[in-house]
Amino acid sequence: MSKELEHSFVTQLEENQNIVHKICRLYTNDADAHNDLFQEITIQLWKAFPKFRGDSKFSTWMYRVGLNTAITLYRKSKRRPDTHDFESVSFKITADEYDDTVEVQLRLMYDAVKQLNDIDKALVFLYLEDKNYREIADTLGITEVNARVKMNRIKEKLRTILNP
Amino acid sequence: MDQLELLKQNWKKREQEYPNLSYDQIYDMLFKKSTSIVKWIFIISVLELLFWSGLYFITPKDSFEVIEKLGMKTFMIVFNVIHYIIVLIFIYYFYKNYVSIKVTENTKTLMERILSTRRTVRYFVIYNVAAFATTLIVINYFYYTKSDVLMQALDETYGIVPDDPQFLTIFLISQIVVGVILILLLLLFYRLVYGILLRKLKKNYKELERIEM
Repeated sequence: MSKELEHSFVTQLEENQNIVHKICRLYTNDADAHNDLFQEITIQLWKAFPKFRGDSKFSTWMYRVGLNTAITLYRKSKRRPDTHDFESVSFKITADEYDDTVEVQLRLMYDAVKQLNDIDKALVFLYLEDKNYREIADTLGITEVNARVKMNRIKEKLRTILNP
Repeated sequence: MDQLELLKQNWKKREQEYPNLSYDQIYDMLFKKSTSIVKWIFIISVLELLFWSGLYFITPKDSFEVIEKLGMKTFMIVFNVIHYIIVLIFIYYFYKNYVSIKVTENTKTLMERILSTRRTVRYFVIYNVAAFATTLIVINYFYYTKSDVLMQALDETYGIVPDDPQFLTIFLISQIVVGVILILLLLLFYRLVYGILLRKLKKNYKELERIEM
């Protein structure tokens, strides 16, 4: 692999790393697992990078590889117990900007999303990233109509989680 | 759903809360080893292909002599030629499926490709177990019908003269017991290794399929 390729890849990933962090945060529960998944996504992106044509945006391409890695390729290491400490510490928000009620609601909603299964999480994630249903459907390999129907069902599910 | 919309509105603003890795930290990751299940499936599958196609070579020479004396040489040669043609076909399909696994496909296609690669190897093993069982049955049938030739062959090859009249029964039963134990061990191996590796993938694949129903 040439140096320019490495440089071009690392620069673009560094710029867009938030996308990967968001996926890691959604699919893991502690800092170690987060870093593990980040690394695996980086490796998968890098392996696929030579075939990245640049006909789509680097960030768009990252959604697909990132989610595929989180949902399909990544295997959580058994040695680590699931802890939620990481989440509660690092999701603390620059509190003065928002009032408490909003804060609590956001927090509850995020926790509810984390309780969804892997596929539902992916749909919600893309929705939160402001992707349209066409893009969501393309990423997951389902039809646009079904993506829409599914999203409505997930909203219903989230409502049940929040108001049991 | 108001709360989800609220989260969506706040989603972008929160980006600064995520860790910020430096150029060098990301660069170092390029040289780390992948722990992806595809890599594990590939390693295990290659080992399986090697194991099953290599079994022939670890069969003791003596056994071939006994087989020859029983007049089963032609049968064994034909059987082996067919066997290796089938092995090659399986390896071809395994390779073809494996290279089609691309992380840049959509999620559903990616899962299908992984599952079909796995399926090829599973059929390969099923084929081998069936072939193994068939050989065991055919050989033992020969042993049974030509027990006098077998005794003679054993005597000439191993220098043992079994004078116990129960010998043949014990001989046949122990062959069957060993065969059954091997098959059980294999099934156990399958449950453990693939159960662990593919559980999550299968669950998620079913979930995706359910959306399309």
